[in-house]
Amino acid sequence: MKRILLATCAMLGLAAATPAFAAGPTDADLMNDAASTGDVLTYGMGPQAQRYSPLKTLNTENVAKLVPAFSFSFGGEKQRGQESQPIVHDGTIYVTGSYSRIWAVDSRTGEEKWQYDARLPDGIMPCCDVINRGAAIYGDKVYFGTLDAKLIALNKETGKVIWSKKMADYEAGYSFTAAPMIVDGKIITGNSGGEFGIVGKVEARDANTGELIWSRPTIEGHIGQLNGKDSTMTGKLNASWQGDMWKQGGGATWLGGTYDPETKLIYMGTGNPAPWNSHLRPGDNLYTSSTLAIDPATGEIKWHFQTTPHDGWDFDGVNEFIPFDLKKDGKVVKAGAKADRNGFFFVLDRTNGKFLSATPFVSKITWAKGFDKKGRPIYDPANRPGNPMEAAQGDTKGKSVFSAPSFLGGKNWMPMAYSQDTGLFYVPANEWGMDIWNEAINYKKGAAYLGAGFTIKPLYEDHIGVLRAIDPATGEIKWEYKNKAPLWGGVLTTAGNLVFTGTPEGYLKAFDARTGQEVWKFNTGSGIVGSPITWEQDGEQFVAVVSGWGGAVPLWGGEVAKSIQHINQGGSLWVFKLPKA
Amino acid sequence: MNRRHLLALIVTLPLAAGSSRFSPAAPLDKVMAKGVLRIAVYRDNPPWSWRAEGKLIGIDVDIGRALAEKLGVKPEFMELTADENMDDDLRNAVWKGSILGEPVADVMMHVPHDREFGLRNDMAVLTAPYHRESFALACDPARTDCRGTLVDMAGSAIAVETDSVPDFYLTGAFGGRLRGDVVHHLTPAAALVDLTEGTAGAAMATLAQVERGLAGKAKGLVIRRGPFPGLLKQGWDIGLAVKTDSRDLGYRLEDVMAGLLADGRIAGIFADHGISHMPPGA
Repeated sequence: MKRILLATCAMLGLAAATPAFAAGPTDADLMNDAASTGDVLTYGMGPQAQRYSPLKTLNTENVAKLVPAFSFSFGGEKQRGQESQPIVHDGTIYVTGSYSRIWAVDSRTGEEKWQYDARLPDGIMPCCDVINRGAAIYGDKVYFGTLDAKLIALNKETGKVIWSKKMADYEAGYSFTAAPMIVDGKIITGNSGGEFGIVGKVEARDANTGELIWSRPTIEGHIGQLNGKDSTMTGKLNASWQGDMWKQGGGATWLGGTYDPETKLIYMGTGNPAPWNSHLRPGDNLYTSSTLAIDPATGEIKWHFQTTPHDGWDFDGVNEFIPFDLKKDGKVVKAGAKADRNGFFFVLDRTNGKFLSATPFVSKITWAKGFDKKGRPIYDPANRPGNPMEAAQGDTKGKSVFSAPSFLGGKNWMPMAYSQDTGLFYVPANEWGMDIWNEAINYKKGAAYLGAGFTIKPLYEDHIGVLRAIDPATGEIKWEYKNKAPLWGGVLTTAGNLVFTGTPEGYLKAFDARTGQEVWKFNTGSGIVGSPITWEQDGEQFVAVVSGWGGAVPLWGGEVAKSIQHINQGGSLWVFKLPKA
Repeated sequence: MNRRHLLALIVTLPLAAGSSRFSPAAPLDKVMAKGVLRIAVYRDNPPWSWRAEGKLIGIDVDIGRALAEKLGVKPEFMELTADENMDDDLRNAVWKGSILGEPVADVMMHVPHDREFGLRNDMAVLTAPYHRESFALACDPARTDCRGTLVDMAGSAIAVETDSVPDFYLTGAFGGRLRGDVVHHLTPAAALVDLTEGTAGAAMATLAQVERGLAGKAKGLVIRRGPFPGLLKQGWDIGLAVKTDSRDLGYRLEDVMAGLLADGRIAGIFADHGISHMPPGA
């Protein structure tokens, strides 16, 4: 009764235009996000992050008529790197932008309701552009992370700060760019930062207060935390690391995770091990370049699967693991899929991490010939960068190898989508390789050091990006769309038989989900590196995406730069719908 | 007043009238006209540049001040957070500015003079080397002796900064036989503390970092400056960098630095900080 009374009060409050009391999404709403078509409450359009909408109003028959409803400029001079996915709730779009900014925009008119700019200190050094991937919403709050590694909770009606928590030390090179995730009233985050001297971890905080509940380091030997006390050790000390190298072993969880309400597990990917030269760290180096399944109540690791054991190519394992029901041989398997940096598309049993299959989703893979039945890679030892200690006298570097994919990955951060209608995954892939060597000498902070040297090279003259439709039961590629520049934006698929993704050339494009035929495109005026969404409002279906070129690609240069050199910077939210008949 | 100075005045007037936030890299005339030399030094990099009780101090800071003084202008320091490597630092500090909008400096301190490094960073000009850096291994002979064959140190902890050359040298050389003994720290200072407090028998870092770490605590300890068989880089010169369009400023600073080296001012600054000065090119 009390609850109803409260709700009534909240509604009265609304009517009286005191929006601070407005109710917001509940745990149940967040868990039901994939099915609810009137909103987009989570990063990934559902905790499983399938990026699938059951909406059919917009479909292959009428999508050609899709036109802009409005565009909202982020303004200012900060026109770069818009990798965000918008959130939509109750007539408001919440969208984050580069340089740790967030806006609330009227979802019908495009009019700004509020803007919040985090004040960034001098001396932050985000590794891979000044991006942010999106916000979370829960109750009366919206949450987002900042480049100086803070987690901020704002009142969703006013944009005023409710609390702000320092998650890590930006002076030690940490930042925060992923969209937070909410599970059972807890806000779940990973960590991001420089390549060197860090240890990955996953943390859960009380979504109302920001207080830490548990912390789980991703490298074996480190001790977790639960309710202010030490909990358990991650893995077993020195089982796959020599000496004390586990102390700064890498494994950052910078892309965040997914959640499956069925198995009640968080799935979190981990980054590559440190240092780069794999010859210095014999062993599997657990749990780097892995997917971890974590209990949201305690932070305990329930299972792990390592996609690149003993990585030597910078194959980060952070990519999203998407729960789905695999229909194979007349049975339904509770599975999950991950398109890894290392070029393989993995399908695992999501209840226990058991390996089901790994098939190439790019045209060339040099580091491994495939995976055996147990899920171990069959390495090609000739294609591991050489040990500089074994280089010939007078040589200044270890043996250089040509490796495909490049360290930017067969797929990088940009999320794929899974259609419950076609049963296909839509993977934004890139075809590039690299010359890589364990470098003798470079310089860092005024002193000599040994890093890795690399030169990224496109594999083909006419394209780098390829959007591929993959059958998870067989690994078969059903169709592909080739794009000149690297693909760097997320994918959306709908029951209207559509697949949407953006290109650096500025287009938001729609494809027939079954055939790959391009059925619509619109140029947004700057490169798209964000993730599109769709929702229903006033009986109409809307599609939104942010536009604003940036991210890691323009920072690397080399031959890849030729395909992107004429792309202009930007920063805006675009919203589309069909004209009224 | 010659024509060149007049030109400089005209050019700098709009600058002076504008926001002082924006001070783009200026060739010599512009620096002289605005009366300020903007100098990039690393944040948190003792004994070269760091903050003690809020004050920016260190060898690079003192040398920067001496350069400005000789030019007859005021020094203004830009504190630079180290990026993943110094190619990035040159971009952030000297020729482009960071993506966060901080303007570049006129000159950057503590830049290695290395042919390959200079060639691939063609937007910057390396000039005026003032010191030669090298590595040193310090030990407590009572615990482990670092004066003999290095691999005989096996069994005693050796502290290093993570991902430094000493780290890779000691974990990689001698077939990895010292790997299990190497103890990793986030800073060289922390590695030296292990030695002075007796939790490690030895520590390895640059000579300047070792000398700073052992200041006042070196009793009974030994510093080995070499040889280090198989070490890929024994030493390197450090100097200044300016943007490629600021060569005249670079030439002038080169002359000023030569004077400071010749009259013992540089050696004096090192002595003030208790660090051995090694002449460049040695």
